Amino acid sequence: MKRILNLMPLVVFGILVVVLYSFLTQENEQLESVLVDQLVPEFKLPALENPNNILSKSSVNKLPALINVWATWCIACRVEHPFLMQLKNKSTLTVYGLNYKDDRKKALDLLENEGNPFEFSIFDQQGKLAIDLGVYGAPETFFVDKEGIIRERHVGALTQKVWKEKFEKFLNEDNDV
Amino acid sequence: MIPEIGHIFLISSLVLSLVGGLGPFIFNKELPIRKIAILMCLLVFGSFFTLIYSFVVDDFSVAYVAQNSNINLPIYYKFAATWGAHEGSLILWILSMNIWLLAFISFDKNRNTNFSNLVFGVCSLVIFSFLLFTVFTSNPFERILPIPPLNGADLNPSLQDFAFTVHPPLLYFGYSGLLLPFAISISAMLSGQSNKDWASSSRPWTLLACSFLTVGIGLGSWWAYYELGWGGWWFWDPVENAAFVPWLLTVALVHSLIVTENRNLFVNWSLLLSIFAFAASLLGTFLVRSGILTSVHAFALDPERGLFILGIFSFFVLGGLAIFAFKNSTGNKTSFYSLNSKEFGLLLNNVLLVVLAVSILFGTLYPLLYEAYTGGKQISVGAPYFEFIIFPFSISLGLLQGIALYLSWGSTKSFNFLTKLILESLSIFLLTLVLLFVLFDELIPASFFTIFIFSWLIVGSLLINFSFKSFNKYLDFLNRRIGVLLSHTGMALLVLGVGVVSSYSNEIELILDTGEKIEFLNKDVELLDIKDKNGPNFISKTANIKVLDGGRTFNLQTEKRTYFPSGQVTTEAAIDTGIFRDFYISMGDNFKGDSWSFKLQSKPFIRWIWLGALLITLGTFISSINILRRKS
Repeated sequence: MKRILNLMPLVVFGILVVVLYSFLTQENEQLESVLVDQLVPEFKLPALENPNNILSKSSVNKLPALINVWATWCIACRVEHPFLMQLKNKSTLTVYGLNYKDDRKKALDLLENEGNPFEFSIFDQQGKLAIDLGVYGAPETFFVDKEGIIRERHVGALTQKVWKEKFEKFLNEDNDV
Repeated sequence: MIPEIGHIFLISSLVLSLVGGLGPFIFNKELPIRKIAILMCLLVFGSFFTLIYSFVVDDFSVAYVAQNSNINLPIYYKFAATWGAHEGSLILWILSMNIWLLAFISFDKNRNTNFSNLVFGVCSLVIFSFLLFTVFTSNPFERILPIPPLNGADLNPSLQDFAFTVHPPLLYFGYSGLLLPFAISISAMLSGQSNKDWASSSRPWTLLACSFLTVGIGLGSWWAYYELGWGGWWFWDPVENAAFVPWLLTVALVHSLIVTENRNLFVNWSLLLSIFAFAASLLGTFLVRSGILTSVHAFALDPERGLFILGIFSFFVLGGLAIFAFKNSTGNKTSFYSLNSKEFGLLLNNVLLVVLAVSILFGTLYPLLYEAYTGGKQISVGAPYFEFIIFPFSISLGLLQGIALYLSWGSTKSFNFLTKLILESLSIFLLTLVLLFVLFDELIPASFFTIFIFSWLIVGSLLINFSFKSFNKYLDFLNRRIGVLLSHTGMALLVLGVGVVSSYSNEIELILDTGEKIEFLNKDVELLDIKDKNGPNFISKTANIKVLDGGRTFNLQTEKRTYFPSGQVTTEAAIDTGIFRDFYISMGDNFKGDSWSFKLQSKPFIRWIWLGALLITLGTFISSINILRRKS
């Protein structure tokens, strides 16, 4: 009896560990599934290039496309910038920018100095569209197919390797149709 | 180059801590543990120092610096930004564990006994696991090469503040202090150290950890009050709970160790509680850093880190509990004490504190459980649950605490003190009500309970022995028990603060134009102007407000700041502080032109909450130092 009593704390904490472990694995699935296979959400936000030009979902019309969340304060965005330029020059894919919680002037300066890979950038200073997209932080990239459906998302810098592993297949698939 | 040196320091301390951790278990003979502890401490400090250096010189090639600092950040905050996010705060945490270990060894008079070596070994193993975690998942010295950014992303603006810069180190120091009771408990079970010995070597460190936890939590609450702009002082935020639960368990442990040391009782209980308190502090870390709870305490979300911390948690806590189940070699004797004894009082105290801690932990984890097992449905357990839970516990703990100091071991002979206690606390109760009526022109029955508990505690801890006839004897009593009296009085003030602020607070929200005047609680409030102001790394709208309160006129400035590196907006509340009430104005949103919304609040007695926490901090600190002095 005493033995069993002494074992109790171990058993209780053992169960706690299992429960905590299940939380962790739960979280993983959720991060992946938030908006994948859903339509791009509606929005009304100014363009980065021209504050009077109000963009909406229908402005994102050259599909398939990538929506890339970026900002001048984001370091990893600079890392992926050359790759985005490469994409723009090499492929038929359109890249739209979502300029996230940024300073308009600094953002425009950066595009002028380093090149502009984007068809246009949505200026989302409050992070409104970013919230609807479930953005964790910049950079983040979404693949939108011909039907306007988000097929894949990537959190972190977009590199050649990530492109090959996660995105390239969708482009081929779209060409087949 | 400098960051690489820091990295090398970190890796060297990793190796050293493994040697120190395995040594006592493998060689089982005399080890130069003090020398190893000093060397480990120096290496970790060196590593921490190089990180600070990278911040101060704006070395943005270090990813961690680039993410948490900015050229325009004032130098003081660059320094503090070192522990502004996950990686740096982890190094600080490891450093404080090393400092605790070194302190323990330096004060330990049984050096080189099996028991002391084991304590050193367990501590080193924990330190090793944290270093492993840092080096493999959270290396703060990682570089962005070949093209380092020209500027960093800035420290989270809400954290650019004095209280914030000292709140985390103190809290980490408290958290990591729970390492010692844990290691002592494990070592006692493995070595069969006598109960009096291990309990008496654990007590001062538990008290000290409690002291740091209290001041850390208190500062966090104070910071939330003036920085978040809501005027609340406790939000039942999951991360606050993650600090509150270990605090409750530590307080319980402080009390149960007294019984173990003096009466050779509650032995298993104290052993287990030492493990639980440490487990709760690891669990808190896990919840905050794994990102499974989201709250105002933003840390990077990373499931891999969560898994690692869960691994550390399982290894040490389950390991400790397995030792308890199978290898516990401390003697446990049965002994009798009556229901009116000090032992029974402390038992009740422990049961109440632990059940309260478990209820709060449950409320914190329940939303996660619910979400996990209903397939994503969300539920929120908020302040009402926690307030509902804590109320009966506080009342019972309060009633108990008032008489606790006058109970005797074994059985209490006379309860004559009760009459005096009741009469005196009723008079203090009435006096307080009169004071509140004079100050606020009203009496709110909802606060009577807490006010009575306050009176009961004040009399129970300070006044009951008072008499003019034997004033010297009373002074002697104060002097002898200064630590316990201070902390128990602190509890009384805290209870009064909570009781009054929660029923006497007032607030309104309104839109003001420049030049507009309104009246709030017999004060004339006028919005003079709103100006643009520039700080080193922010721009702000500053509202200048004139307040006429009775004969007193004063100006208050509340701000809406936009930090330009991150674009984040913060509210700087304007607070006119006072011992009996705070007057609190915070700026809301801009409507058309120069009209803004404002929130005006009156917060009576809110200072007493932090004053109480400060006294608890001081009391436990003094008790601990007194014990350590007596021993050496």
